[in-house]
Amino acid sequence: MTWFTEANTQQDIIDRAPTLAPAFKEFYDSFWQLSSIPPSVLELCRLRVAQLHQSDYQWQHAQFELSVEQRQSLSQWSKSAVYTQTEKACLAFAEVYCMDPQAITDAQAEAVKSELGDAGLVALIEALGLFYGMTRVSQLWDL
Amino acid sequence: MSKQPRVSNHFAKTGHIVRDSALGLVTETVEPYLRFNHAIWHNGPLTAADIELARLRNARQVNCVFCKAVRYDIAIEAGLDEAKVEQITDDFDQSELSPREKLILAYTDHYLQQPTAMTTEFKQRLTEEFSAAEIVHLSLAIMLCNCFSRCAVSLGGMPEEDLPRMQISVPE
Repeated sequence: MTWFTEANTQQDIIDRAPTLAPAFKEFYDSFWQLSSIPPSVLELCRLRVAQLHQSDYQWQHAQFELSVEQRQSLSQWSKSAVYTQTEKACLAFAEVYCMDPQAITDAQAEAVKSELGDAGLVALIEALGLFYGMTRVSQLWDL
Repeated sequence: MSKQPRVSNHFAKTGHIVRDSALGLVTETVEPYLRFNHAIWHNGPLTAADIELARLRNARQVNCVFCKAVRYDIAIEAGLDEAKVEQITDDFDQSELSPREKLILAYTDHYLQQPTAMTTEFKQRLTEEFSAAEIVHLSLAIMLCNCFSRCAVSLGGMPEEDLPRMQISVPE
C-alpha cells in the first residue's frame, strides 16, 4: 500500500483516476506494438532505466520476456557479448538520456538511427521518457 | 546539445502541430499520445491551471525553450495568469502562490530531483490537500510533460535563446 491509497501496484493506483487510466494504458501499450523497435530492445532499456534509478519495483516487473543472460548481464552490457549492436546503441543512448538529454551526442543519435532509422530514434526517445517517468512516479508512490 | 534537428518529418503535411512533427513518424504512438494528452488536460480532477503550474515548473527545470514559451489557453481560462507564472521560480515557497499551488510545485520538484526523498510530513500535507485521484492525475501529468520536454531536447534543434510567449490550444 502506498501513502495515499490502499492500492499497491502501479496499475491499481492509476485506476484510482478512472477518467485517465484507459488513455494511459492505451498510450503505454502502444510502445509494445512498434514496427520501428523490437520489444526486446525496449525492455532492455526499461530495465536499464530501472537499474540507474535503483528501482527494485520496476526491475522486478517483466513487460517482455528476455533471456536470463540478458537480464543478468545488463549492468555490464557494454562488455558483454549477449547484446546485439542495435541493443548496445540503444542502451548507450538510454544511459546518457537518463543523466541529461542535453548531453546526448550526435554520434550517439546517429548510432541509433543507423540501426533503427529516423522513426526508431524518435520512438526510442519517447519510450525512454515514458520509462524514466514511470520509474520516477513509482518512486514517488513508494512502490 | 545539438543545434540541428536530428530527425525531420518530411512526409506529413496535415497542418497539425504534432502529427507534422517528428512525433508523427511513430505512427503507432502518435494518436494514443494525443488521446492521453487530451485526457490529462480535460478529463482529470485537477484544473488546467493546476496542470499548467507543474508543466511550466518542469519546462524551466528541463530547459525546454519551446515548453517555456507556451501558455495553454485553457489554463489561462482556468485562472493562471502571468503574475502567477512569474512566481514559478526556485523561491516559489516564499511567493504569494497559495499553499495548494506550492504543494503542486514541490511535488513536481520531487519528481524532477529526488523522487525517493519525500518526508512523511510532506506526504501528509499532500493527502490533506489532494484526493487519491488528484495525486494520480498530477503524477501522470508531470510524467507526460517531462517525457515530451525531454523528447524535444533529445531531438536537437532547440533554440539557445528564449522564445516569445505563445498562447496556443492543447493539440487535439
